[in-house]
Amino acid sequence: MQLPPFEYHRPASLDEALATLDRIGNDAAVLGGGTDLLINLKLRLERPAALLSVRELPELAGVSVDAAGTLRIGAGERLTDLATHPLILARHPGLAQAIRAVGSQHVRNMATLGGNLCLPTRCWYTNQSENWRGSQIPCWKTEGQVCHVIKTAPNCRAIHSADSVPALITLDARVLLRSSRGERELRLADFYRDDGIENNALLPGELITAVLIPPGRARSVFVKAAARTGLDYGYATLAGALTGSNRAPKSLLLVAGSVGTVPLLLHKPAQIILAQGLTEASIEAAADAAREDLGEVTNLFTPPGYKKRLVRGLVRRVLNDLRRQKLPDAD
Amino acid sequence: MSRQLITLIVNGDRHQVPVAPHDTLLDVIRDQVGLTGTKRGCTSGACGVCTVQGEDGRAVLSCLALAIEWDERPVTTIEGVASEDELHPVQKAFLEYGAVQCGACTPGLIMTAKALLDQNPDPDEEAINEALAGALCRCTGHIKVKIAVREAIKVVAASTAAEGGQGG
Ligand SMILES: Cc1cc2nc3c(=O)[nH]c(=O)nc-3n(C[C@H](O)[C@H](O)[C@H](O)COP(=O)(O)OP(=O)(O)OC[C@H]3O[C@@H](n4cnc5c(N)ncnc54)[C@H](O)[C@@H]3O)c2cc1C
Ligand code: FES
Ligand code: FES
Repeated sequence: MQLPPFEYHRPASLDEALATLDRIGNDAAVLGGGTDLLINLKLRLERPAALLSVRELPELAGVSVDAAGTLRIGAGERLTDLATHPLILARHPGLAQAIRAVGSQHVRNMATLGGNLCLPTRCWYTNQSENWRGSQIPCWKTEGQVCHVIKTAPNCRAIHSADSVPALITLDARVLLRSSRGERELRLADFYRDDGIENNALLPGELITAVLIPPGRARSVFVKAAARTGLDYGYATLAGALTGSNRAPKSLLLVAGSVGTVPLLLHKPAQIILAQGLTEASIEAAADAAREDLGEVTNLFTPPGYKKRLVRGLVRRVLNDLRRQKLPDAD
Repeated sequence: MSRQLITLIVNGDRHQVPVAPHDTLLDVIRDQVGLTGTKRGCTSGACGVCTVQGEDGRAVLSCLALAIEWDERPVTTIEGVASEDELHPVQKAFLEYGAVQCGACTPGLIMTAKALLDQNPDPDEEAINEALAGALCRCTGHIKVKIAVREAIKVVAASTAAEGGQGG
């Protein structure tokens, strides 16, 4: 597959990047590592007139901790560097696991965190060549009037499967967004929208510059169920972060990925663990309760009912792993 | 679309080539520099046959890299792996252990294994699997490839130890 022609811009500073974005407007696409965007261009799924490369911007670089203990990860950082970063490994093992679950090492050597956060939703119909798509009627994403994933859906129900996201949400991460109008900060959990096309809150002219993780010591785990350990998107993933002890947990966030159009917070299993502590019996009860949170699951690439059973197993795995994990170092 | 003259440094040799923004590193290496050892497979990041090494020694998928972003940056391709008179230990091990059938995947697998060894001379089983997961062979499976990679690790370790010994 060949790339279509486009203009290419590589601004030297964030201000220059934002000014260029304003100038080119909606015809520009932001280029991180290109490991998803360039494929979508080859598939003719997106047709920007210009690419704006942001990976080398100094303002998007670096991993650091500020005086208050907040961890700042630049959006231009590569996934390989983040998966092996001593600060991330020590403080947030679940995040390191999640980042390491993205694609292959080859992909992670090129891919950026910002690109992962903005990974478009995927489905069996759109993520194919233009010719292939031509054999089916168009869907919401390709200017049609139907969702091939859930036929009755009034909007696009393609799947959100960016692996770093569930892990970051369990850590209560925030995203820093910049445009020429200024800076704003959003909880990552509020960044996503339950629509496969308008999947996030990025406004025209806006970039992600960094991710912020608040201080605090939590145990954290990420588990991914996929056809192969490398290269494949998940059938389902689950991230968990826990504070407090096994007997008296203080907080527990469980977020499932690759099951819907947005990452899904599992309330019921967390309530059970918070009420009963982490025991063999409570873990079983929590796993059984997971399906109550799942609602209408898109059984994309899997038979009906499979994902619900899978999430049940993932809840059990994640909780058992959390139960065994030692509390990470403070800093 | 206007072309821009860039300098690709492939295996130490400087090549001035005119590139359009949408030319991939893969296409420029094959079609303009004329080095066809780097293979064109899925062109979408999922097979690894296009693997080259960037300046930091890491494995890079040239089908997902824009040539225009590689101006003045060194790239190593399969043609740059052997020295003047000797194959690289990974190449030797692939030959010796028959880790090749049709050979389509071989340059990508050798570049992947070399990138792994350049980063981590003593990778464990998990690290080997993690690296090889990004480069696929459709003929043999990865068993013989892994045998060859493990053997190459031993050879590299022995020669590093010997050099260390000589240096005293
Ligand atoms: C074989 C293969 C397997 C893969 N498997 C997985 C997987 O298992 N899990 C997974 O999560 N991903 C997977 N991916 C997808 C992709 O590689 C990753 O999501 C990667 O992190 C994307 O990052 P990037 O920098 O390459 O993004 P790009 O391709 O450069 O960009 C992706 C999107 O993000 C936008 N963007 C990039 N940076 C910014 C920024 N700073 N601000 C605003 N918008 C921005 C782009 O405009 C684009 O819409 C896979 C890809 C391949 C080729
Ligand atoms: S051709 Fe580049 S990964 Fe397949
Ligand atoms: S030897 Fe044929 S693809 Fe690997």
